[in-house]
Amino acid sequence: MNMIEFRNVSKVYDNDTVALKNINLMVRKGEFLFLVGPSGSGKSTFIKLVIKEIDESDGNIYIAGRNICNLKINRIPQLRRNVGCVFQDYKLLPQKTIFENVAFALEVIGRPSYEIKVQVPQVLKLVGLHGKLNSYPHQLSGGEQQRVSIARAFVNRPPILLADEPTGNLDPGTSEGIMKILSRINLIGTTVLMATHDRNIVNSMRRRVVELEEGEIIRDQKRGVYGD
Amino acid sequence: MGFTAITTVAITLFIVGFFTIIVYDIQGIINSVKSQVELAVYLDDNISDELKAYIENEITNWEETEKAEYVSKDQALERFKEKNEGSDILKEIQGNPLPASFEITLKDPEKIDQVALRFLDKDGNYIEGVNDVIYGRSYVNTLFSITAIVGSIAFLIIIVLLLATVVLIFNTIRLSIYARRKEIEVMKLVGATNWFVRTPFLFEGFFEGFIGSVVSVILLYFLGNFLLIRGERVIADTMRIKELAILGSGNIVLYVYIAIVVLGGFIGIMSSGIALRRYIKI
Repeated sequence: MNMIEFRNVSKVYDNDTVALKNINLMVRKGEFLFLVGPSGSGKSTFIKLVIKEIDESDGNIYIAGRNICNLKINRIPQLRRNVGCVFQDYKLLPQKTIFENVAFALEVIGRPSYEIKVQVPQVLKLVGLHGKLNSYPHQLSGGEQQRVSIARAFVNRPPILLADEPTGNLDPGTSEGIMKILSRINLIGTTVLMATHDRNIVNSMRRRVVELEEGEIIRDQKRGVYGD
Repeated sequence: MGFTAITTVAITLFIVGFFTIIVYDIQGIINSVKSQVELAVYLDDNISDELKAYIENEITNWEETEKAEYVSKDQALERFKEKNEGSDILKEIQGNPLPASFEITLKDPEKIDQVALRFLDKDGNYIEGVNDVIYGRSYVNTLFSITAIVGSIAFLIIIVLLLATVVLIFNTIRLSIYARRKEIEVMKLVGATNWFVRTPFLFEGFFEGFIGSVVSVILLYFLGNFLLIRGERVIADTMRIKELAILGSGNIVLYVYIAIVVLGGFIGIMSSGIALRRYIKI
């Protein structure tokens, strides 16, 4: 089954910048995929289209078999509950503890508190932060903050996890730790799509690599490397 | 932030309420003056009974006449004594200098000129048996035009102030959205519904409008009433009107209070709704 499918998708921004040109791509359930390419090649646009933060200009996008192009505004939250998101800048709330930051993701979708009390420590254990439940983001290292952000994206057990340059601000050693967590999440059956231009990570993981250049797919390789 | 907004809303709505009550009040004065507008037709002392009966018959048959009352010389004197009880003037009066009269109340006070003319003959003299016709024509007309002017000025001021209130609450909600933008971003990211994100802001707007309007009603009740009652007395004294409409019969004031509170809450929700439409996108 395809978790993400793009059929002839194009995106032109209001200022006439063409971000994506006629993209056709299928990502199967449980797959781990790297989206690589230089800045401005369309990686972030791709991710924004999947969570419907922006609308495509042309073509059709299917998430878990459902066409999201004509999705009503009030159905968008449902889509986002099925797609976890991790960003380069973590997007943690500074005035909340680690526990509260992760719990927030469940609270705002109306999960009951007994469920939150069980789920949050579990997912923080998965990312190796169960000892820091009551710390605040500023007390953590960059790598730890990113792990909190992954925990928040995954606490709801979405079938798809998107990561936009998750290691962009981290040193190689810390990045490796993040990749281990993403691999673990992928092993449980989650489809993981990661946009990056971190050559070492891509080369060491040997997963499917899709390369974008000026909004077009120029390479799609099964067990690929970053390229030249 | 909330405190500033509430205070400003309270002051604005106080002024709105104050003007509303004034407009109603003037309307009330007009109505009570209107109902007091009547023609007094003074009769010759030596008018014959036939002529008197003829005139009375005529007056009662006019379609403009609401009520016509004959006041005899004796009754007139009686009234005069009542009005001036204890005054020296009574000692000066010898006999009965007061004329008998017909007091006519009209269905439509604006026809008063027309009716008054009927007591004049072609040459502009009073018809036989009639000595004088008195009615408060000039000040009724002045009153009508004053009301129109005050009414439209007050209406303009009210509109401007209400707009100012909308802008004010809109602005506090905008700042509130800005202060919580990171939280909102995360909420949307993890799939919070639109309503979940918006409700707190709608509530905040409603709260500011509602509390502000309640404070303004309290202000109106104490300060506004005080000012209005004094104002009314001045008007009543200068115009020699005995009772004034509005503050005596408190229902309209109560409706104005309720309207202000409802309006305050509504403006609060509406303004924050506009801000949300503008600054929170899915």
